[in-house]
Amino acid sequence: MIAQLRSELFKQRTTRAAGVLLASMAGVTVLVVCLHVFTLKTADLSQAANQPKVFGWGTTIGALFAALTGAIGITAEFRHGTIRPTLLTNPDRTRVLIAKAAAAATAAIVIGLLAAALVAAIGSIGLALRGIPITLKAGDFTQMIAGGAAGAALWAILGTGLGAILRGQVGAVIGLCVWLLLIENILIGNVPSAGKYAPGASDGALAGLMPNAGIASLLAPAAGALLLAGYAAVTAGLGLVAIERRDID
Amino acid sequence: MVAVRDLTKRFGPVLAVDALSFTLDAGSIAGFLGPNGAGKTTTLRLLLGLARPTSGEALVFGRRYRELPNPTRRVGALLESGDFDPGRSGRNHLRALAIASGIDTQRVDELLDLVELDRAAHRPAGDYSLGMRQRLGLAAALLGEPELLILDEPANGLDAAGVHWLRGFLRQFAATGGSVLVSSHLLAEVAQSVDRALIIKRGRLVATVAMDQLPDRGSLEQLYLELTGMDES
Repeated sequence: MIAQLRSELFKQRTTRAAGVLLASMAGVTVLVVCLHVFTLKTADLSQAANQPKVFGWGTTIGALFAALTGAIGITAEFRHGTIRPTLLTNPDRTRVLIAKAAAAATAAIVIGLLAAALVAAIGSIGLALRGIPITLKAGDFTQMIAGGAAGAALWAILGTGLGAILRGQVGAVIGLCVWLLLIENILIGNVPSAGKYAPGASDGALAGLMPNAGIASLLAPAAGALLLAGYAAVTAGLGLVAIERRDID
Repeated sequence: MVAVRDLTKRFGPVLAVDALSFTLDAGSIAGFLGPNGAGKTTTLRLLLGLARPTSGEALVFGRRYRELPNPTRRVGALLESGDFDPGRSGRNHLRALAIASGIDTQRVDELLDLVELDRAAHRPAGDYSLGMRQRLGLAAALLGEPELLILDEPANGLDAAGVHWLRGFLRQFAATGGSVLVSSHLLAEVAQSVDRALIIKRGRLVATVAMDQLPDRGSLEQLYLELTGMDES
């Protein structure tokens, strides 16, 4: 198990995928936060309820890139066929997938921390430049960064499970993007009473905020953490069943 | 070392492997021959635990592959598909596999020398020629110093010198007690190196030919064509 985890961590470091994901994440974060911090009206941004439109993006972007890391880690093996030598070396497919999820979660903690910290820094600088007072307290920032990292780790596990179920890289990547960037925002925006139970909104609860929702419309942090952990466990469980049952081409 | 009994694999309406039985003993090289689509690769995948048989069994060292404790120490496999991440270097491809099975990285460098990839080892595998990929795959198969080699079309993409080297290598491997199961759809390259030829057609074993019982190596081709027929479509 430890050997397989070391191998998976080694694989992460030895292609350009990890670097490309990290750089894309930083780029997307800077772009999205700048767009919001510099285009929203001063009157709107001054209200505490609207500041998640700037600071909430760390949660969503961290979750997205964490989930992509998990999904790409497993779908790349199917895409390039390296799943065959991987499983010939270690035929215990359950252990291989768990090692992959653990390796992805490890990388996701870094991703989650970076995304939240980057959003906190750029958002704060942007608001200061515009002379708008920041309504988030130190405790909110701490929750945003720590919760964002923990949420990202869970999203990486979810992404690994999804990748094992779908196998196709394009489908997994598009699915995660559409869900996190589009569906989640529609759900929390239009039907918050149900939308707050969705996985992205659970992550928002854990981190304290997400782009279209402040703390008021979200679950309690512990409830969000539990619910997201449940989503991750169910998806990873289905992924384990899929990889154990299906033939490798 | 290998025991296949009544092995059957069905993909929907297609019967890819049909009640196939054969065995392989220590110190011998068996050629697994048949036209494209005869079920060679499927049989090897079943033997290696990548696919599940519809019925029957495929055992290596008396067990199913997935039940072997540290399989890379017993079985080395090269599959036809050339399975590398194009962005990862040849050396790192081998290292990732070595780490997973607790093999020293020094062994990786030994193998890179053996398959003459030492100078290209730092380059992404996506830049390798077909022959270089085959040699990298062979290096991966040899990582755990296995007793049994299962090779699917190993000569694909190798040049004449490469094929010559491979033959010599397999002979030496068998001479030191190892066994080899090598599939091919090309007769000439196999006829010169195997002890026994297993000829399959449409998932069924149609003949087992001991090479020393043939009048000459060329007559394998005659036999093969008779058995597999020209009615392949």
